[in-house]
Amino acid sequence: MRITCPLCGPRDRREFYYYGSEDYLTQPALGDFDAIDAHLHLRDNLAGEVRDLWYHEMGCAAWLLVTRNTVTHKISDVVQVAGGGVGILAKMKPEEGAL
Amino acid sequence: MVNLIAKSPLWGQAPLVSAGVTLAEVDLGQVTSIAPFDMAVPGFPAPNTVVADGAARLVWTGRGQAFLIGGPVGDWAEVAAVTDQSDGWAGLSLLGAGAVDVLARLVPVDLRRLAVGDCARTQLGHMAVIVIAVAGGFELLVFRSMAQTAWHELATVIKMRGARLAC
Amino acid sequence: MRYSGLKVITQGLFGNKGWGPVWRDPAPKGEYDAIIIGGGGHGLSTAYYLAKNHGLTNIAVLEKGYIGSGNVGRNTTIVRANYFLPGNSEFYSHSLKLWEGLEAELNYNVMHSQRGLINLFHSDGQRDAFVRRGNAMINQGDDAILLDREGVRQHLPYLDFEQTRFPIYGGLLHPRGGTARHDAVAWGYARGADQRGVDLIQNCEVTGIDIEGGRVVGVQTTRGSIRARKVGMVVAGRSGQVAAMAGMRLPIESHVLQAFVTEGLKPCIDHVVSFGMGHFYISQSDKGGLVFGGDIDFYASYASRGNLPMVEHVMEAGMTLMPMIGRAKVLRSWGGIMDMTPDGSPIIDKTPVDGLFIDAGWNYGGFKAVPASGWCMAHLMATGESHAVARRFRLDRFKTGHLLDEEGTGSQHNLH
Ligand SMILES: Cc1cc2nc3c(=O)[nH]c(=O)nc-3n(C[C@H](O)[C@H](O)[C@H](O)COP(=O)(O)OP(=O)(O)OC[C@H]3O[C@@H](n4cnc5c(N)ncnc54)[C@H](O)[C@@H]3O)c2cc1C
Ligand SMILES: [Zn+2]
Repeated sequence: MRITCPLCGPRDRREFYYYGSEDYLTQPALGDFDAIDAHLHLRDNLAGEVRDLWYHEMGCAAWLLVTRNTVTHKISDVVQVAGGGVGILAKMKPEEGAL
Repeated sequence: MVNLIAKSPLWGQAPLVSAGVTLAEVDLGQVTSIAPFDMAVPGFPAPNTVVADGAARLVWTGRGQAFLIGGPVGDWAEVAAVTDQSDGWAGLSLLGAGAVDVLARLVPVDLRRLAVGDCARTQLGHMAVIVIAVAGGFELLVFRSMAQTAWHELATVIKMRGARLAC
Repeated sequence: MRYSGLKVITQGLFGNKGWGPVWRDPAPKGEYDAIIIGGGGHGLSTAYYLAKNHGLTNIAVLEKGYIGSGNVGRNTTIVRANYFLPGNSEFYSHSLKLWEGLEAELNYNVMHSQRGLINLFHSDGQRDAFVRRGNAMINQGDDAILLDREGVRQHLPYLDFEQTRFPIYGGLLHPRGGTARHDAVAWGYARGADQRGVDLIQNCEVTGIDIEGGRVVGVQTTRGSIRARKVGMVVAGRSGQVAAMAGMRLPIESHVLQAFVTEGLKPCIDHVVSFGMGHFYISQSDKGGLVFGGDIDFYASYASRGNLPMVEHVMEAGMTLMPMIGRAKVLRSWGGIMDMTPDGSPIIDKTPVDGLFIDAGWNYGGFKAVPASGWCMAHLMATGESHAVARRFRLDRFKTGHLLDEEGTGSQHNLH
């Protein structure tokens, strides 16, 4: 499996750290326990196309939103979560259109 | 005041020459991390490239970060977070026609595609590495604490390659 | 058919031509008292104990492929009871006791071999953690022996005791740990369930779950609709998909775990050896192959195959620990889909839908759990109450904060 980092280009899977589903991008409201539970634990866990978060740990250190098929391992799209922005807030809320 | 001797990470290590490849330590001089507050700042290198200015080189090392090697910080402090990294890194040079074959065994990137002026942030075995394409081969930057390990990994590959070519 | 020594001898004399199919191949009926979705180890043992312990025999196991085609036939067969946390400890202890009587119980040779399991440690901190674990195991009534470096050397002289990256400080020996023949476990339970009247229906994929007024009333399958007032979802790596048929989202992400086997060798590795620091474990099968593996591939997957970086990592870890295996040729590698939970522990519970039960989240450690999981799931489905040793395997424990994070790695599905 190879992932094309928008910054570094095509790289081997071993350079990347997998975090989990794009659910992590939706910050739940403080005190909303159902939303926090869903954010942390509950997953659609689809067999097919999913979007998940990878970190280019051994490369440029960008967080990436990867569109990937969990059955074939085919990767169809990779974008930076930060979408050109900087800072943790940009990571938490991807810009519209960047998706 | 006593005169302290600044020792390089691979102090006293003689170069290794085998089958047309030479591995040696290089003195990087001053290394400064430049992390611009706005990534669109002029003069900042595009991903995977090096901007050379005389002896000084600005090497892209990741998202929103470049290393200024061998030059003064100049005005960068006004537009970027600037931190001295000089003693944190070890520099190696791997030169000769077989250099790319040696690295191919340790680095999961197709380094044949790198031309002088290109660089890549990737891994050497399990170590983080910055690979810079230079005339006749590569310069490698690894964490100082990994210098001996990097040397060992590279030396092992160089010797194995030499042995295979010899038989 | 009852197996006996006499039978084996007489069959041997007459060319082994008298063996028939061991279980029936029934067509699904229109209605059962209970349905188990999934004919893996857990589904089959659930059916077996529903019939045996609770007298429920009008039941069906619906399997989309063939019996044993899932993880029960893909795992590396390690059976142990060396858990630390209350909740896990009593459950796996109960399971190991069931294993110890399983061959007599099923009249089936599952080749359960208590050859001893050694978990190595490589630092003072790890030693302290293993001392605690060992004490927890002994408190639970199981066995644990702390070995120092020389003690490990006596058992495992072939390890590289000179390597400096992960120096071997000692190991925790669990003498009752070992291995079993994975397929035989599925076959044994299948045969036992069938003999008690359970319908094992293969090539029957469940495609929908029928719910009326908040209560389950049956399932849709590729072989027609089947009614039942009790349905158990026991589908391991496919739990997310089957639960979605009932409108549920589970605290599960499916991941691929790889395993490897070498050519057959003369006996050389007598124990199960686990090298946690390098993510590597190994045992030798009765056929002589070295069976080994490491970590999951770490990304969500439904492909029964993994990627090369993990292959390389496992080989590197193996070579670090026991360089002698470098000469063995790897014959095969394969992958299976793990239902990973955010705390690494399983779920045996009711669901918000009346009559619908779930047994899932076994991560990469569900083979050893096959007997107790079936025992407890059957208890739950028959009585409506959690069994005492599976009380903490609650579906809502993530939300309520009652996690069973055995490894203490935090709330991320792939970190357990
Ligand atoms: C490589 C590997 C090594 C492992 N090593 C160990 C080990 O050493 N020790 C240990 O304790 N555990 C180990 N495990 C984990 C263990 O194998 C699993 O936790 C356990 O087998 C899962 O339970 P099961 O046997 O019921 O699963 P499975 O055998 O996978 O059974 C689930 C069944 O459900 C069926 N199914 C799915 N969807 C449907 C549907 N819609 N309709 C009908 N049927 C359906 C599937 O076809 C499958 O047969 C390992 C797993 C793997 C992959
Ligand atoms: Zn990158």
